[in-house]
Order: sequence, then C-alpha cells, then structure tokens
Amino acid sequence: MNALNHIASTLAANPMASNADLNLLERLMLSARSSDYAATHDMVYMVIFWLSVAFFVVVMGPYAYFIVKYRRKPGVPAQRSVSHNTPLELAWSIFPLMLLCVLFFLGFEVFIDGQVAPADAETINVHAKKWNWSLGYDNGALPKSEDYVNLVGTSVPVFAIPAGKPIRLVLESEDVIHSFYVPNFRKKIDVFPNRYTTMWFQAGNAGERHYVFCAEYCGDQHSQMAAMLDTLSPEDYDKWKTDHVLNPKDMFPADYGAFLYKQQGCNACHTVDRAKSAGTGPPWWGIWGRTENIEGGGQITVDENYVRESIYTPAAKIVQGFPNQMNSFQGLIDPEGISAIFAYMQTLSDEGQAKYEKDKAAWEAAKKAAEEAKAAQN
Amino acid sequence: MTTATPTASTLPYHETYTHQEHWRNQEDEFEGAKLGVWLFLTTEILLFSGMFCGYAILRIFYLEHFTAASAHYLNWKIGAANTAVLLISSFTVAMSVRAAQLNKQGQLIINLLISAVCGVIFLVVKLGWEYYPKYIHHELPGKNFAYADHTGAYIANASDPVFLAIYWVATAIHGFHVLVGVLLLLWVAWRAGKRHFGPKHYTAVENVGLYWHLVDLVWIFLFPLLYLV
Amino acid sequence: MTTIDASSGGVGAHAGEHHGASYLHRKGGFMVTVWDWATTIDHKKIGVMYMFATTFMFFLGGMFALMVRLELFTPTMTNDAGQIVGQLFANDVYNRMFTLHGVIMVFLFIIPAIPAAFGNFLLPIMLGAKDVAFPRLNLMSWYIYLFGATLAVVALIGGGVDTGWTFYTPYSITGTAMHQQVFLVTLAAFILGFSSIFTGLNFVVTVHKLRAPGMGWFDMPLFVWAIYATSLIQVLATPVLGITVLLLAIEQAFHIGIFDPALGGDPVLYQHFFWFYSHPAVYIMILPGMGIMSELVTVHARKRIFGYKAIAFSSLGIAAVSFIVWGHHLFTAQTAMANAIFSALTFFVAIPSAIKVFNWVATLYKSSIAFTTPMLYALGFMFTFTIGGVTGLFLATIATDINLHDTYFVVAHFHYVMMGGAGIALFGGMHHWWPKMFGKMYNERAGILGFFFVFVGFNTTFFIQFLMGSQGMPRRYATYIPEFEIYHQISTVGSWLLLIGFLIHLANFTHSLLKGPKAPRNPWGGLTLEWTTDSPPIEHNFHHEPVIHHGPYDYDDVVPPFCDEKDFPLPAPLKPGAAKH
Ligand code: HEA
Ligand code: HEA
Ligand code: HEC
Ligand code: CUA
Ligand SMILES: [Cu+2]
Repeated sequence: MNALNHIASTLAANPMASNADLNLLERLMLSARSSDYAATHDMVYMVIFWLSVAFFVVVMGPYAYFIVKYRRKPGVPAQRSVSHNTPLELAWSIFPLMLLCVLFFLGFEVFIDGQVAPADAETINVHAKKWNWSLGYDNGALPKSEDYVNLVGTSVPVFAIPAGKPIRLVLESEDVIHSFYVPNFRKKIDVFPNRYTTMWFQAGNAGERHYVFCAEYCGDQHSQMAAMLDTLSPEDYDKWKTDHVLNPKDMFPADYGAFLYKQQGCNACHTVDRAKSAGTGPPWWGIWGRTENIEGGGQITVDENYVRESIYTPAAKIVQGFPNQMNSFQGLIDPEGISAIFAYMQTLSDEGQAKYEKDKAAWEAAKKAAEEAKAAQN
Repeated sequence: MTTATPTASTLPYHETYTHQEHWRNQEDEFEGAKLGVWLFLTTEILLFSGMFCGYAILRIFYLEHFTAASAHYLNWKIGAANTAVLLISSFTVAMSVRAAQLNKQGQLIINLLISAVCGVIFLVVKLGWEYYPKYIHHELPGKNFAYADHTGAYIANASDPVFLAIYWVATAIHGFHVLVGVLLLLWVAWRAGKRHFGPKHYTAVENVGLYWHLVDLVWIFLFPLLYLV
Repeated sequence: MTTIDASSGGVGAHAGEHHGASYLHRKGGFMVTVWDWATTIDHKKIGVMYMFATTFMFFLGGMFALMVRLELFTPTMTNDAGQIVGQLFANDVYNRMFTLHGVIMVFLFIIPAIPAAFGNFLLPIMLGAKDVAFPRLNLMSWYIYLFGATLAVVALIGGGVDTGWTFYTPYSITGTAMHQQVFLVTLAAFILGFSSIFTGLNFVVTVHKLRAPGMGWFDMPLFVWAIYATSLIQVLATPVLGITVLLLAIEQAFHIGIFDPALGGDPVLYQHFFWFYSHPAVYIMILPGMGIMSELVTVHARKRIFGYKAIAFSSLGIAAVSFIVWGHHLFTAQTAMANAIFSALTFFVAIPSAIKVFNWVATLYKSSIAFTTPMLYALGFMFTFTIGGVTGLFLATIATDINLHDTYFVVAHFHYVMMGGAGIALFGGMHHWWPKMFGKMYNERAGILGFFFVFVGFNTTFFIQFLMGSQGMPRRYATYIPEFEIYHQISTVGSWLLLIGFLIHLANFTHSLLKGPKAPRNPWGGLTLEWTTDSPPIEHNFHHEPVIHHGPYDYDDVVPPFCDEKDFPLPAPLKPGAAKH
C-alpha cells in the first residue's frame, strides 16, 4: 500500500502543489486540490466516478458470468428463455434516468455556485494572444525577466495571486480563441477576441505554484502557451505587486529589451539560444547585422530600420522559410522599447555577450557612483 | 383497349414505360421516387434553415442596425416583383403536372416553358437590378465593403457588412437553386416534347415540380426577412 | 411470424434451376473488369469498393495516429544548456498530423465506413430486395465520396491543415499561408456531405419500399433498423454541416465576416453550427455499430435478441434526441442558461444507449456463446463502449466538464466510443460477413490473435488517457510538462500493440482472399436473409424473391438454413403451459 501511495503521489501531475489531502484513488485521477471550489468539484467527480463503477459492475458482472456459464458446448443447444420482460425493461430505463437527474442537478448547482464572484473580489485583467498570457494587475505590476521559468521548451512567466482572497479574472483575447485553464482550481474559461469572459477563484494554501494552460487550440505554439501562478500570503502578495512595478528608466537598456522579449511574448516564436533552436520565427542568436533572404527575392541586412519595420509592420518583408505569423506590435511597444530591443538583439552573439557584460558593469558602476553622489549630497 | 391494340413502337413512351427491374411495380417506383425527392427537399429546407438561424442570431446582436441596413440597401419593390414572378411560375408548374395527368401534351409543354421563363426573369432582375449595382457601389460583405456610401446620404454602421454577408450568401445560394431549377424545367420540357409523360408516367414532372415549389417557398421566407422586417 | 415452413430454406432447394453468376464473377480481361466495377450499379460491388476505400483511410489515419503517439513519447524540455530537447516533429508538423488524423478518421473513415460499406452490401439483401431504391444515385454517391476524399487527402497532404478537425473560427480563417488549404478541406467536407445525404436518402426509401413480401417493420433485422435510424440522421443533420462548411469556405475565400469577430461576426455561432451537425454525427458513427452488435450477439450466441422493440425504438430515440444536445461541446463558451439546458438533454441521450447495452447482456442469458473472432469483437464492444459511455457522463455534468473539457479525458472518451465502439463493431462485422462477401474463410486462430492485440492495445493506449486528462493534460499539445511522461509512454506503447493487431488482421484477410478455403453459405448459422443466398451472393442477390416465414432471430424454433440440425440443435420445447415468449 505504501509503495502504491508513493507511486500515486509521484504520478500526480503537479509536484509544486501538495496533493497530500487527496486519497490514493483521487491522486490517480486528480491534481492538487488548491481551492474550495476544487474540493466541491472533486466531490461531484467522485460521485460520478462511484456511480459509473457501480453501473459498470452491474453490467459487467452478469456479462462476465454469462460468458463463462453459457459458453458453447458442442451439441448442447441454448436454453429457451424469454425475450422480453416489461417490468425489467422499465426498471432499467427509469432507474438510471432518475440517477441521471440527480447528477444533472448536482453538476449544475456546483457550476452555478462557482459562477458568481463575491463582491469584494480583486479584479485582474487577462490578455491572451498567440502565444502568451499576461495578467494585468490594478497597479500595473509585471513579472520581471528573472520571474520566468523554463517549461515545455519555452520560458513562461510566473504571476502572483493571494491566498484566501477571491480573485476575479476578466479575460479577452487579441487574436483567436484561447482558453484559460488552471487544473488545480478545476476551472477553465474560453477567451474570445470580441467579448469579455470572466472567471473567479480563491486559492488555498500559500506557497503553492499552479500551472496555467491554454486549453483551446490556437495554432503552432498552443502547447507552449503556459504560465504559472504562485499563491502568496496576502502580505507577500501586496509586496510582490509593489516590487514588480517596473520603470524602464531604471534598467540597463539591453535588460529592458530582454524583459520586453518575454513580456511581449516574442519568446513564443523567437529563440535566443546559441544553438538557434527552431521556432515559428527566425532565431535571434546572431541576428544583428545578419543578412536575410526575403520572400520574393532580394536580401536585407538586419539593422535598426529593418527591425523597427519588422515589429510594426511584420508583413512588409518576410524572411524566407518563415510564413508570416507575426502580428504588428504597433501601439504595444513604444520607441523607447524598440531601442531597448535593438540593444538586446545586439547582445545575442558571442561578441555581443562580452560587450554586454563590460557595458553593464560600467553602467552599474556609474549608477552606483551617481547614487552615492546623490546620497552624499543629501 | 377494345379495338386493335397499336404496336409498342407507335405508342408514346409514357404508355409503354415499365418500371426498372429491382422495383416490384410502377406504383412503388413512383412512390419511392417521390419519397426520395421529399427527403431531398427536407435537406434543402434544413440547409436554408441554417442560413435563417445565422440571420436570426446576428439580427438579435445588431437589431436596429439590421433594420436600417435592410431599408437602405434593399429595394422592396424589386423583391416584390421577383416574388410575383416566382408565384406565377409555381402556379404554372402545378398546372403542368395536372396537364400530364390529363394527357394534355400541349399544355404540359407550354406551362413548363412559362415556368422556366419566369425563372430566367427572376435571375435577370436579380443580376441586373440588384447584384450589379451593389457590386459597383461596393455594397459587398465583410472585407470588401466600402464605408463611403455612393449617395453620400447614408452613414454605414459597423454591422452593415454582416447584413450584406447574409444577404449575398443567402440570395446567391437561392439564385443557384433557381438556376438549377430552370435547367431542370427545360430538361423536363424537352422530354415532354418527346412524349415521355402522360397519365401513367409523369414522375419527373411531379418531382421537378416539387423542387420548384421549394425554391419558391424559400424565397417566400427570404423576401420578408431580408427586405421587409 | 414464427411459423416453421419447410421452404424457409427453400431458396436453396431450387438453386440448381437458375444458376446466376456470383457478383464477383469476372466477365473478361483486366480492363473489362475494371470498367465493370467502375460503372457498376450493383449495391454489393459499391459496398465492397467503399469497404476497401474506408479501410485504406483507416490505415492512413492510423499511420498519422502512430506518428502523433511517437511525438508524445517524450516531453519537450529545455536542457541545462538552454537547448530544446525531446521534440521529434516541429509544433506545426504535429498540429497538422493530429488534424489529418482527426479529419481522415471522422469524415473519410468512420462516418462512411459502416453505413456505406456494410449498409450497401447488406441492407438490400437483408430486406430481400434486388438492389437499393436508386442504384444510379448510389453509384453517384460513391463517386462523390471518391472525389471528396481525394480532394481532402490532396489538400491535407499537400501542405496540410493545422486547425484540428473542428475548424474553429477565427483561427481557421486567419489569412496565413497554411490556411489556404482549409478552403479545400472544407469544400471536401461539403462534397462528402452530399455523398452521405444521398446514401442515407437511398436507404430510407429502400427500407420503406423494398422490403420482401411478408416482412413487416418488426421483422426487419436490427442492423436494418440501425441503418434506417442512421440514415435519418444523415439526411436531417448533414445539410447543416453543408451550410456551415460552405459559409466557412466563403469566409475563408472572401472574408465576409459572418464568423470573423474582426469583421463583426460571431465565432461562437460557428461552434453552434458545427456541433449541430457533428454531435448527431457521433451517432451516425455509433448507431450502425450498434446494429452490427445486435447481429453478432444473436448469431454467435444462437439466441433470440432480448427486447427487439426496445432496441429498435432506442435507435430512433437516439436519433431524435441527438439533435438537441450539441451545446454540451460548448460548456466553457456559452451562457449558463444554455449550459443547463444542454446538460440536462445530454443525460437523456444516455438512456437509449444504456437500454441497448442492457439488452445485449440479457441476450447472453441462457445462450450458447461461440468464441469466434466476430463474437470476441462483440463482447469487446460491450466492455469498451460501456467505459466510453459512462465517461460521457462525466462530460455531460457541467461542473466536471469545465475541468475536463479539451483535456485528454475527452480524447479518451471519444476513442472509447469511436474506436472502441464503432471501430470495434466494424472489425467484428468485417469478420462476420467476410465469408459472405468474398466466399472465402479466414484463419480463425489468426483472427483471434489479432483481436487480442487490438483489444489489449486499445485499452493500454486509451485508458491511461483518462487519468492524465482528469489530472489536467490538455489535448492538441505537441509538447507537455514532464510530469505526464510516463502516462504518454504507456499510451504510445499501446499504439504499437494496436499496429501489430491490425497487421495480423491485414495478413489474415489477404491470405484468405488469395488462398482461403471456400466459405459455406451459412458458416455461423445466421437466420437473416443474407445467409440464404450463395457465398458470395449472385448478381441479383436471390434466385427467387424470398418470402419471409420466420423472424430474424427465431433461433429457438428454426434450424438456420443450410445448416445441419446436428450442429445447430434446437432447444427443448418449453414445458406445456409455459408461455412461449
Ligand atoms: C461514436 C461517437 C460518440 C458517442 C456514441 C458518444 C456518446 C456520448 N458522449 Fe461523446 N463525444 C464524441 C463521440 C461520441 N460520444 C466525440 C468525437 C467528442 C469530442 C469531439 C471533439 O471535441 O473533438 C465527444 C465529446 C463529448 C462531450 C463534450 C466534451 C467536451 O469537449 O468538453 C460530451 C459532454 O457531454 C459528451 C457526452 C457524451 C454522452 C453523454 C454520450 C452518451 O451517448 C453515452 C451513452 C452510453 C452509455 C451511458 C453507456 C452504456 C450504458 C450503460 C452501460 C448503462 C449504465 C449507464 C448509466 C445510464 C448511468 N461527449
Ligand atoms: C474513428 C475515429 C478515430 C480512430 C479510429 C482513432 C484511432 C486512434 N487515435 Fe485518434 N482521434 C480522432 C479519431 C479517431 N482516432 C479524432 C476525431 C481526434 C481529434 C483530432 C483533433 O483534435 O482535431 C483524435 C485525436 C487523437 C489523439 C490526440 C491528439 C492531440 O489531441 O494532440 C491521439 C493521441 O494519442 C490519438 C491517437 C489515436 C490512436 C493511437 C488510434 C489508434 O486506434 C489507431 C490504430 C490504427 C493503426 C495502428 C493503423 C494500423 C495499420 C497500418 C499502419 C497499416 C499499415 C499498412 C500497410 C502495411 C499497407 N487520436
Ligand atoms: C506569433 C509569432 C511571433 C511573435 C509573437 C513575434 N514574432 Fe517576430 N517574427 C515571426 C515570424 C514568423 C517572423 C518571420 C516572418 C517575417 O519576417 O515577418 C518574424 C520576424 C521577425 C523579425 C525579422 C527577423 C529576421 O531574422 O529578419 C524581427 C526583428 C521580429 N520578428 C521581432 C519580433 C519582436 C520584437 C517581437 C515581440 C515584441 C516578435 N517578433 C514577436 C513571428 C513572431
Ligand atoms: Cu492559446 Cu491555445
Ligand atoms: Cu456531442
């Protein structure tokens, strides 16, 4: 039994959230249970499960028995028996029907209870696009570059949510339909381009980390359109939010560029590793100054003008071998951001890395000196 | 059949027609064909119902704008004229079936031809007075819609292209059915000319007639939905 | 209906008089034969051609399934060096593969397979007719199918579509290069729809008008009832698919904005349209399979079916209710009100299916079960379909579906009903009627071996998917988090067992065609009319128009035609005074 228990807990999908409160059977079928709603949901789930098992036994028990008992023996005919029996037939139609009615009400009630968010819920806006999630907090907080973790071959952002407080999400998509799915909360809602949908939850224990998946097929990187939610204690959560309001002016330009690379979702399509791993768009390692073959003939050298054009009007010049999948970022990235992306791209080569390290050290020294001078002034 | 029975070769086709081998008798064959056509018509009705449902839902989305778009883009007089044309043709088609049953060969052909001509009139009106002007004024669905109105007096709503999408697709599918119907009517008329139909055998007349009534019926729904409400 | 008449097997008594040629008889050289088949209006030849075409499609779809499983053998991860590892195919290649797999399996394999192949071959014979009502229309349907299938395969393979078999808007109408093919595939679906409609229409008229003298509605074999109900759905649901894919194709080509939110349209409207067809379509897939089940269970257990009328009417019941439950595919997309209605209605559709399962089990009571390949498939069906069906209840319950929607739980559910239900019934039926269709027996042991590989492989592949799905593994994922690795590996190994199983069947059938021993008229001892004619049947099916003297399942009172009383002894009469039914 212990061994089984062990297997079941290792099999359970999310090791970052504890599933200790699930029993063995539940662990095989469900992920960690991280909200009150999840607990209610699991109750319904287990009711259906046991009902199904019961029906399965009712059907398969006699079936197995008949198969053994009535196997053909040469020369022995089947026995005569009735070929219909109205009370029996009525019973096996009506009895399941009644049970199914109960099931319906159970499922509907739990669903409806989970629909309406409490009035004091904090609202977070969710913006979906191919292929990343971004959560808009009321104070504009954003995950920093170091808040990204590697998952399914890409890096995904980690957002914070408070434990024990209701959160209401208002979701909308920029391009196609996506679906916001948090298995540990047992909640999912489709995200549409032309309307807002909502969903709410109240996370349980602080210190857990939850996966967010995209559950509606949305193209190439559908399976990599993930995010993480960290449940923090309410105090930590407030602190996280204030810590994560970014001021680009305080950042080294290349770092700000690296931040935009993830925050704007360039990482969904463009890789930056030395090996130039394949992606939907051209890899960025060594991009600066590279010569590209353009669809329809001609070549172009990647420089400031071309990159700016590629970001604002990607369809203008298409790199060969990469059908255009990129949306315009006009209005999403300001000129300052564009310059930061130039700086970041310039670091993506061996020389660039060396230069980056040197420049950054110098920038930090200068910044420190300026701060000290400021402190001395006061 | 008391006097000398004419030989098979001198009898018109419809007198000598015998059912295909796998049927038990001619009666069954006729009934079977008719049942088949009714089923087919059901599928046609369902196909158009899809269109109507889409229309209903989008109309609920954009109620006032659809009404305004209908009044602005569509001329109910043209629609009404076409309705009249189709109603006449339905009547003549019914007459042609009657003529076949009564073995009035002349009436049969005339009625079929009138029906076909009505169908052609419908199409000419549709193309010449509706589709063509709309096309040149860019009153087209979706992406090809031009917001600048040629009269300058009307301010287009964002949902106008959606209304026009429904209009174009629904009437084009219907128009295609009219075209097919005209061809079928001509084919039946041609066969009638060869004395293929008579009281004992008029399956094709009956069935093409049924089809033509359906085409008419669909228009009876389309006209008020698009032009009037 | 149960009169025993010496002439019940009488067709054969006169067989010597008119010796019609087998429908497989070759009339000349190779080209003549090809031309003969290409222009045939014989329902049997058309059925056989459908059978080969759909089997080909199954193998094609199965090959893509194997590739899908292969890709999922390893999760994709970023290693310490920052490189991406564990990916066999690029995402977009994977996405096209599962789309190919889904489209081929649904539109080109399972929907036409049973009705068009077995329906065509068997329906007229079971009714005692010479052909279907409209033989030329039948040939036309075949060519429409062929044309649509070719178009679809060309579009899918030459470039491919990456939308999933559901073609959800707006993804499917965005203007990137890959999606130009969507236009072709939707057009193909539109064309295939016509084939489906015409076949259905043909069968309905055939059942109404061409039953043998003496055959009332309740003397029809249950397979015919099932095909009849299926045909009604085909006729009534397919037009809506027609208009949907037509609008989608127009949208794709001209951007008219009915489904495109960017132009004011409504993407959820598309989903409603699509499922209005595609939900009834899942019953187009399963009902004929259930019809096959009723035949297999009775013949190989030599037992009158339990609850004939209940089974017949539940087919019609399923057909009727299937039209009003489509919204259960949209629980995460539509209003709470709509959710409630569709969830409630969905539960109703489970009842007629449950009735059928109960009846089949009851049929086994006091029967005489022979473990032939077809019967093993029938018994396998009851097991897998029940699992597939009851997991449908998890999905029909709104609260749990919100969690399970678009996860592998759904994938497992529909493979259990489509592959484990319709598919397994189909393979059972193929083994059951193979001797009749080609006049050759196959190797029974090889058949049984193949069955075990398929059955075990199937459950290995898909049962584990329930577990990973309810733990949160979304579907249509080319890459996945490492926690699910072991689940996917078990599933992939299962798919290899399936492959072995099908290769065994393939070899067995090929061997049977080339070298198999001649099949008797009635190898299993069936009572339906197809067993009274030659194996393979003659050109117009019967030497004499059959006259019905007994019901299709009167195993208690009739020795099957062309069978020996010694091998098929009748049960002792009930004690005097006991009721007969
Ligand atoms: C052959 C095809 C087939 C069949 C027969 C069924 C049968 C059923 N299906 Fe399934 N279904 C699909 C094919 C099929 N389905 C497909 C292809 C999809 C996904 C499509 C996609 O998204 O790509 C799907 C998806 C699907 C969903 C949407 C899931 C989601 O995407 O979120 C739902 C939800 O309600 C559902 C429910 C049901 C139900 C209640 C039945 C019932 O009819 C089942 C009835 C049968 C039984 C119940 C078993 C027998 C009964 C007993 C042994 C008696 C005891 C049982 C009781 C009555 C308690 N199905
Ligand atoms: C009838 C329908 C049907 C059938 C029979 C199958 C059969 C199989 N399916 Fe399929 N499947 C679907 C319908 C079907 N599927 C649908 C509709 C989808 C959804 C698509 C979408 O999301 O859009 C899907 C999706 C789907 C997925 C999910 C993909 C994803 O979401 O990312 C997976 C993954 O495991 C899968 C696997 C399999 C496997 C292993 C089989 C196996 O059972 C296959 C077994 C067959 C073989 C193993 C072939 C063997 C034979 C040969 C290879 C012959 C060789 C030939 C010669 C030598 C001449 N299927
Ligand atoms: C949806 C996927 C996607 C996203 C997200 C994306 N791109 Fe791209 N990108 C592409 C594709 C595909 C191409 C190649 C086709 C083309 O040239 O337009 C491309 C090309 C480019 C090019 C030209 C590359 C070269 O090698 O010449 C630049 C520069 C670029 N993208 C920058 C960005 C930036 C900056 C972002 C984020 C703010 C971004 N992209 C986000 C898909 C994407
Ligand atoms: Cu976003 Cu799938
Ligand atoms: Cu369904």
